[in-house]
Formats: sequence, C-alpha cells, structure tokens
Amino acid sequence: MRVILKTRPREKPRIPIEAEEIIPQNFLRKNDMKVFEGNKERTLEDLFFVTIEGPAVSPDQVEVVLTGNTGMIKRVGEYMNAGRIIIEGDIGMHCGNFMSAGEIIIRGNADAWLGREMRGGRILCEGNASHYCAAGYRGEKRGMRGGIMEVKGNAGDFTAEYLSGGDVIIHGNCGDLPGVEMRGGTLVIGGECARPCGNMTGGTCMVFGKAQRVLPTFRSNGSQDMDYAGKRYRMNLFRGDVANRGKGTLMIRA
Amino acid sequence: MPGILIRNAFVIDPLSGVKGEVMDIAIRDGKIVEEASTDAVVIDAARCLTLPGGIDSHSHVCGTKVNFGRYMSPEDMRAGRTARKGVMHVTSGYSVPTTFGNSYRYSTMGYTTILEGAMAPLEARHTHEEFTATPHQDMLANTLFDGNWSIMEAVKEKDVKRAAAVVAWTLSAVKGFAIKLTNPGGTEAWGWGGDVNSIHDQVPHFGVTPAEIIGTMIQANELLNLPHSVHLHCNNLGVPGNYQTTLETIGLVPDLNRDRQSLYLTHVQFHSYGGSTWRDICSKSEDVARAVNNTPQVVMDMGQIMFGRTTTMTADGPMEFKLYMLHHNKWSNHDVELETGSGITPVYYGRKSLVNCVMWSIGLELALLAKNPWQCLLSTDNPNGAPFVKYPEIIALLMSRRFRENERKMIDPRTEHFVPLFAIERELDWYEIAVMTRAAQAKALGITRIGKGYLAPGAEADVAIFPLKPDEIDPSVDYQQVMAGFSRTRYTIKRGRVVARDGEVVVEGANSTIWTRANVPPAYDMSSDPEFTKKFEQYYTVRMRNYPVQDIYLPRGVRIDTEASL
Repeated sequence: MRVILKTRPREKPRIPIEAEEIIPQNFLRKNDMKVFEGNKERTLEDLFFVTIEGPAVSPDQVEVVLTGNTGMIKRVGEYMNAGRIIIEGDIGMHCGNFMSAGEIIIRGNADAWLGREMRGGRILCEGNASHYCAAGYRGEKRGMRGGIMEVKGNAGDFTAEYLSGGDVIIHGNCGDLPGVEMRGGTLVIGGECARPCGNMTGGTCMVFGKAQRVLPTFRSNGSQDMDYAGKRYRMNLFRGDVANRGKGTLMIRA
Repeated sequence: MPGILIRNAFVIDPLSGVKGEVMDIAIRDGKIVEEASTDAVVIDAARCLTLPGGIDSHSHVCGTKVNFGRYMSPEDMRAGRTARKGVMHVTSGYSVPTTFGNSYRYSTMGYTTILEGAMAPLEARHTHEEFTATPHQDMLANTLFDGNWSIMEAVKEKDVKRAAAVVAWTLSAVKGFAIKLTNPGGTEAWGWGGDVNSIHDQVPHFGVTPAEIIGTMIQANELLNLPHSVHLHCNNLGVPGNYQTTLETIGLVPDLNRDRQSLYLTHVQFHSYGGSTWRDICSKSEDVARAVNNTPQVVMDMGQIMFGRTTTMTADGPMEFKLYMLHHNKWSNHDVELETGSGITPVYYGRKSLVNCVMWSIGLELALLAKNPWQCLLSTDNPNGAPFVKYPEIIALLMSRRFRENERKMIDPRTEHFVPLFAIERELDWYEIAVMTRAAQAKALGITRIGKGYLAPGAEADVAIFPLKPDEIDPSVDYQQVMAGFSRTRYTIKRGRVVARDGEVVVEGANSTIWTRANVPPAYDMSSDPEFTKKFEQYYTVRMRNYPVQDIYLPRGVRIDTEASL
C-alpha cells in the first residue's frame, strides 16, 4: 500500500503540525486519524490531500509519502515499528523518535531531535540534520539504542548524545559536542567537529575530518591504520573519557 | 449537606473491634453518626470490603527534596501522564509525580491521610504550600531534628527539658506534627565529610552519640506529651551488616507510654541486612522481627522495595552519596544550615540483581514474621522503595503464598540461599491488612483522638469501599483480583464527601494540615532564650521573627494541643 500525503495550502503555514499519528501501522486500521495544528485538533483530510494506492495486509507493506510544505510537521514516525516513510522535502522536529523498526527517508533537511532515542530501524537524511540528532531525551541515561542513522549533510550540536547502541553516520560536519555522554554504539563523523565525546564511557567514535578542541581528558593510545568504506586511513587513537572512568574509543584521522 | 448512608457494607474496623460484619454506616456533617438523616444519599456497598480511609504513616510526597527530585528527573515526567478531565488537573510523573498526581492516585487507592516523612524546619513553607496542592488527603509533617545544633547542645548537657523546649518551639513555629530523626548525628557529621558508623560513634564537634540523641529525644517527646512518638530512621541505612545497629537501637527504647509505642522505626527493610559486603548480603529479618516481637514499645514500618525504577530521597545525605558511588547516576546533596541535610538519586531495582532480590524479600519477611500486625505497618517509604502505587501488589504478596512462589521463579535463583522468605507459610488475612494499612497507623500516630482510623460514631467520615467481596474471594488464590481491588476503590469518602469513584476523582479537594502545639511553661519558651536566639543572629540566614510559618500557609490547619509536663 502506498499512501501519499500532499499538504494543502494553509492560511498560516508557520503554525506547526503535531502528527505523531502518521506511522505506517496506523493506515492499516484507522481512518479517523487526528493531528494537531497549533492547539486545534484536525483530521488528516483537513491538512493533506490523501491518496491511497493498493492494498496491504501488514504494516511492513505500507509506504507513506509526504510531499509539499512538510517543514513544519513534527513527530512524524514516532514509535513506528514497520513500513517505510518517505519525505520528499524538509521535515520538522522529533521525526522518528522512539522508532523500533522500519525506514524513514528524508530527501530534504531535518529539524532538531531527528531519531531521538530510536531503538531500531533506519533513518536516512539526504540533507542536513539539526541539533540533537540521534540523541537522548533530557534526563534519560540512554539515548539511541539501536538501528542506523545516516545523514548525508551536516548535523548540529549534541549529535548522538547518550548514544548507547546502533550506528550513527554523519557524512558532513558536526557541531559542538558530538557523542557526548556516549556509552556504546558507533558514531562516524565524515567532516569536522568540535569537542567530541565528552564524558564518554563506552562505544567508538571516528572522526575523518578535523576535530577541534579535543578534551584533555582523553588518553592517547598511539595510532593505527584502518579500513573504512573501502579506503585506508591512518587514525590517532584516544581512550576516555578518563574524567568519567570511561573506556570509550575516539579515533581521529591523523 | 444531606449526608450519606452506606448500606450492606462488609466492614472491618480494627480500632472499634469490628472484624468483618455486614452493617450500615451513616454519615452526617463529615462525621460518622448513629442515624442517617432521612434525605441521605444511599450507597449500596453490596457486601464489598469497607475500611476506614487509608493512612500512610511514612511517605515523601511534598517538600523541597521531593520537588528537587522532580527537577532532576525530566524523564520521570514522561510516565504517568493524564490529561485534564472534569475536576482533575493534568498530572504527570511516576516516582515523583506532580502533587495532584500524588493526591489523585492516593485517593483512588482509598488513602485519606498522609504523613510526609521528613520536613526540614527551615524549608517548611514549601512543604506546606505543596500540602495545600495535595487536596484529597489530610497531611501531617514529620519535622527533622537529627542534626539540630540546639538539640545536640542540650543532649551534651544532658538537659532533656531544654531539648523538649526546643522541640516545642520548633514544632509550633514550622507547624510540624512530630519528631523525625534521620540518621541522628550522621547528617551533621556529613557536613564535615564524615558519617557515624554505630550508635556509639561521636558526632564531630558536638561530642554526642546517636544513642544519646535518640534516648534524649524519646524522653523529651514524652515530656511534651506529643501524639506521635519519635519517628526514627536508624543509622547505617543500607549498609550490609547494619542489623546490629538496628538491634542495638531497639534495645535502647524505654517503655514510656501506655497508649502507643515509644519509638517508631521507619523503613526497617533497609536496616535488616546481614553480611559484610554487597557480595554476601543476607537477610536478618528474623533477628529484627524477633526483637520487635519482644519489644512491644516499638512499632516499625516495612519500607518494602518493589522491582522497577524509582527515585530515592532522604534527609540522610551520606547514604545518598554512597548510593551515588554505587550507581554513578545523577544525584544531589544539600545541607540545611543548622538542622539537617538531604540527598536524592534515581535508582532501578532489578529482578536480576541478587542484592535487590534480597532486599525485596526482607521487607516481606518483616511483615510476615512480626507476630502483631499493629507493630508492622505497610509502607514502601514512597518513593524510596517503590512508588506508593505498588501497595496493592505488596498486599497481594502478603496475602498469597502462591503469588510469592510465582515471583520466586522470576527473580535471581540464588536469592533463596540468602533469605528465609520462601519457608514462611503465613498468609495475612483481611483483618491484618486493615490493621497494617490504617488502624495501626492511626494508633501509632496518635490521631485517633481527632477521629482518624476508625468508623465508630464520632469518627471522621473517611471511608474506602473496595470492589472486593471477602466472603466470595480467596486472596491466596485470586491475588490478581486483590491487587486490582486495592488499586481502585469503588468509593473513597473523605470527611463525608465522595471524592473518588471507580478510579476517578470527582470533586475538588479541601484537605487540612494537622500540626501539634505543646504548651510549655514560660520558663521554657525558647523565643526569649538568649542562647537560642543567638543561633539566629549568628548562624542562620533568616531572622528568628521570619522563621515561623505564618497561618496563611495552612488554610485549613488543625491544631492538636498538648500540655507539656515540664
């Protein structure tokens, strides 16, 4: 089944839409899905032209396509556990948080809190992601626990904060403090970043660009050659964060 | 108000000697009366279990440290969210819910009175403000005296009367209810980076021992004729091998009061550990229960832990530091000027952790091994052992051996080598549960004098009707039903009004705060004592005249007056 949601023109397009109901499994059984526009409750039909093509018997056969002016739609794919969501443009905050399986593909940019505390599945963002991409919510000790997050562009500050499982791959640059409080999983940064991995206790972080202001609480552990994505790199190894009795590995391209 | 007539109620009212009779209860003007008025609203209880309103004699629901638990646990606020509905406010939180969350959840479980376990006198205003926002329960506040400089100076001079005078002034200034000692001496030592390791260790600078503080305060409490006894959180909480300290403390207690205990030991589960390290921790509940059985002047509460996530909070600062060193989670610690301290850290009690399984067993063992249910009250030291919403599960565990055996399969299999729980066959009955959840609390707190904890004419009309028919269900088999029944009353009636029905709160609450004032002769009035006033001038950050809590903080205060025998 393919569900196409095209946004209707809105009088005030800056008012955010809260759409946690937009997940593949809901299109199998629900036909009265509600979303909030600001503080007003609306039906899906009020805000989108909905086209449904073909049948489906299980949620993993459902593909949801969002097109139009999608940059203000929040919480799409929250708690999703199967199927696929394709966003043709930008997407708003909290996309794919707590998702456990399935796939989200974003052709544009993603706003903050992309895939926060996700447990599994895959998110691909072809543009840039904003702050707190693949991080944890406030107060929680474990952030993203599994799955794959891939961002082709840049990511903002606090990328993969509290990462405890799964893979986060940022092809571009990261902002300040990526991988802070990391305790597991893998974080790959293709470009530059600043102050990586403060307070990390476990996991692996690889930085292929320049890492600025590396914290003094990382102990140098020599260097080694490493193969990654078909290429060979010389990496400097660090262990830490010793301020937190950490046993994480930080690799920075020599 | 037309009043209420409850028909066909299966009543258990231990304080009036009713052990399960089908009878009617008439309510008028907020009191239980002999005859209902003719226009009374009739509630058909259909032979359902009807008990006096529940009383929690040790719970942390209001005050600065609870609120700090809320600040530092935004993840806790994600759980237990309910939307606004009728008269109910929005609530959120699981182990440290909003005040309304606490109040509604207690109310739907049939609780109508709560004692806040620890109020720092300096921070009493905050506690009283949260009391007014906990609208469905009458509130009482235990006031902390464990590290009070004036008290320790009086203890050093062996001047019981002066200690009593300090207590009398402070209680009436901060509108407190009773004396709470939390790790006496230890919190003060923590101000110097230390702790006390036995009741005979000296507190730095003051040169007094916990044993002297406890002994003096028990006597001072009786000199003031306060309704409740000293409420003690023993030294060495949560330290393997601490049962020795607990036994020594129980050995100190003189029998000074005919009507109630002379010492209330709280969350004794945390104080009944054998062994010497976390690796060989074992249950010493048998020794502690035996000591309590042989010492009728002592009452304890369980402090049961239940598996899951919660937040620990106590005035015992050094203990919270030790917990932080174990868990390396976020934590906070706080020193309250000349009085006490506190600490908070979130914890997770897991079924896979042998230590946690042993702790879980000890609490249940204490309740099952205490011969007299009036001496062992049900509590989780909410939220330290578990949030209070777990009470129904604890009741079911105590009433059903089969349930305990089922749980045994889920926990660490090594547990049985360290605890006697699974050899205990006792199953508590409805009467004993009624004692452990309301009657014994009312007696221990000494609030039967204001009509709490019983259903005879003249009592406050606090009634809980549970959807349980004791003559039809067998709690040892239908424990699921017991659990469901105790978590949602059919009716909770508070001061003659139905406040909750079938799990939903139906009216805006109007609670009262109960506090005590001990009237002392002018010679013992501390407000004009030069030494005492000097403390405010030299050390406190507040002036003495700004220290007392104004009446405006207690919109519906209920004062219990006592005459001190000084």
